[in-house]
Amino acid sequence: MEQRLMTSHSRAKSKEKNEELYEPSKATRLFIVWRKLKTSKMALAGFGIILLVSLLALLAPVIAPYDPNAIGRVRVPPSTMHWLGTDAMGRDMFSLILYGARISLYVGVAAVLLEILFGLAIGMTSGYFGGIVDEILMRLTDLIMTLPTLPLLLVTVILFEQRDVNVIVLVMGIFGWPFMARIVRSEFLALRETTFVEAARSMGATPWRIITRHILPNILSTIIVIGTMDIPWYIFWEATLTFLGFGDPSSPSWGVLLWRGYIHFRMEWWIITFPGLALFFTSLGFNLFGDGLRDALDVTTRGR
Amino acid sequence: MSESLLLNINNLKTHFVLAEGVVQAVDGVHLAIGKEEVLGLVGESGCGKSTVALSILRLIRPPGKIVGGEIWFEGEDLLRKSEGEMREIRGGKISMVFQNPTSSMNPVYTVGSQIAEAIKLHQDVQKRQMKEKVVEILHKVGIPDPSKRTEDYPHEYSGGMCQRAMMAMALSCNPKLLIADEPTTNLDVTIQAQILDLMRTLRKDFGASILLIGHNLGVIDEFCDKVAVMYAGKVVEYSDITTIFKKPKHPYTQALLESIPRLDVEKERLRIIPGTVPRLIDPPAGCRFHPRCEYAMAVCGEQEPTPVEVGRGHTVACFLHTSEG
Repeated sequence: MEQRLMTSHSRAKSKEKNEELYEPSKATRLFIVWRKLKTSKMALAGFGIILLVSLLALLAPVIAPYDPNAIGRVRVPPSTMHWLGTDAMGRDMFSLILYGARISLYVGVAAVLLEILFGLAIGMTSGYFGGIVDEILMRLTDLIMTLPTLPLLLVTVILFEQRDVNVIVLVMGIFGWPFMARIVRSEFLALRETTFVEAARSMGATPWRIITRHILPNILSTIIVIGTMDIPWYIFWEATLTFLGFGDPSSPSWGVLLWRGYIHFRMEWWIITFPGLALFFTSLGFNLFGDGLRDALDVTTRGR
Repeated sequence: MSESLLLNINNLKTHFVLAEGVVQAVDGVHLAIGKEEVLGLVGESGCGKSTVALSILRLIRPPGKIVGGEIWFEGEDLLRKSEGEMREIRGGKISMVFQNPTSSMNPVYTVGSQIAEAIKLHQDVQKRQMKEKVVEILHKVGIPDPSKRTEDYPHEYSGGMCQRAMMAMALSCNPKLLIADEPTTNLDVTIQAQILDLMRTLRKDFGASILLIGHNLGVIDEFCDKVAVMYAGKVVEYSDITTIFKKPKHPYTQALLESIPRLDVEKERLRIIPGTVPRLIDPPAGCRFHPRCEYAMAVCGEQEPTPVEVGRGHTVACFLHTSEG
């Protein structure tokens, strides 16, 4: 539930920032984005998938036919009783996947929010102020980018005492920002030279005002697009870490289900296939939607 | 300093420190603008006109730096002000219009909200009155149907309308000085004329002094009271408009005037000034114009000419005239 709220909230909030002064254009603007988005079938399909997955996660307690922890007959193949079968401990796979969606979506969205937070702070500082600050921050970014991700994540997860989803989110956030920071920096470098920024300075705007009111809104669409497309990336990484046994078995994300399922793959294919499919479609949804969003958010080429 | 002066620039030096060397973009410029006066600043591209404008507002950014001089504005030296004090002045007492009207506006905000923001920076206006004020000022600069057009985004405006809106923004806080950096450069001729007309009206209505930067001498002739001619980072001639167009003294000014087509004079070919503007990393010794000057003398390559008064309010920096004066 929380994760679903987060996505829509962050999007609505960023829109709001653009339009403080004149109310009518806020609705107009969202409407224009939506109208452009509608023209792309792929983007609509992506949006549909995201909506579906989010709704399923949100309404898991209502939809799920069983308590995800209730134990019954083990390894039942898909049937009318258990649509997607049961796992090695006798739990209903469909219910497990529904509840797992909550955790996986939460991980994806929370990690992206962290990435945006770090990436924005570092990219902004680097791009706006430049000079030695830029040099130091960018070398740090390079360093993190050159280190191999998986061992880095594994080692850092081990450094934390407890196994917890939030630890994984935090670790992914700590190492996930370099790409975002680079993009933000390059956008800042380009935008700070524009005439409208110069004009804003000539009107007496403070650096903070220029950053928040003039430059940020112009890169908002880029951030939203990258953020959207990175959500499945984090869901995947969490699944990978979990699959390798570094996850938190007490919060059964899709990764945990895959990890539990792979040993039974030869005989009971459904235990690993369905969580895998859920992961695949969710990832597809976010990618399609992100692509469509990129085109739709470009203010200067409005669909007529 | 005389009482009637609004802005007095004294020996301004703005340099850009690059890896290849120091670019002396503005090197010892003297300028003065009286109250409600329009000063034209002309010169070839890259001679430092825009750098002078940005220096006045202290908007020069690294690697550029103002390394010396004084900029007196209303009895205070702007170069000694803090950044916070400068922000009060920018847009409040001195504002600027740029040469690319369509890119001077932030594409993600409506035109109205951008003007409102500029007003908000310097004045306390209630949200409800803000809209009226924005509409009123857009009406003043001649935007048709202003109450509707405030809701438009910059890309829905034409170039001329964007420049009108920029002027609205610049004039929204009743500045004492308006710096217009080639405000008509990217507009077509009829729109140019309209913008100039507008500036003329606004000058009357708002009583602001204007520093008009341009290389279009026709525009300068039509609009300015006084003219300063810049060459390679220095002001070579400064005078009132009629003197400079009738009796130019500096060889560069003369050449510049002969290189524009005129309807009233029959001419086979227009004058061409041989050579190019010198690189300002290593400007020629002595008078910076001497390598291209047809009257160059031995002294020109050795010493730098100082500006001398050759007539009432008419100064020239050239050795041809030091001997006379």
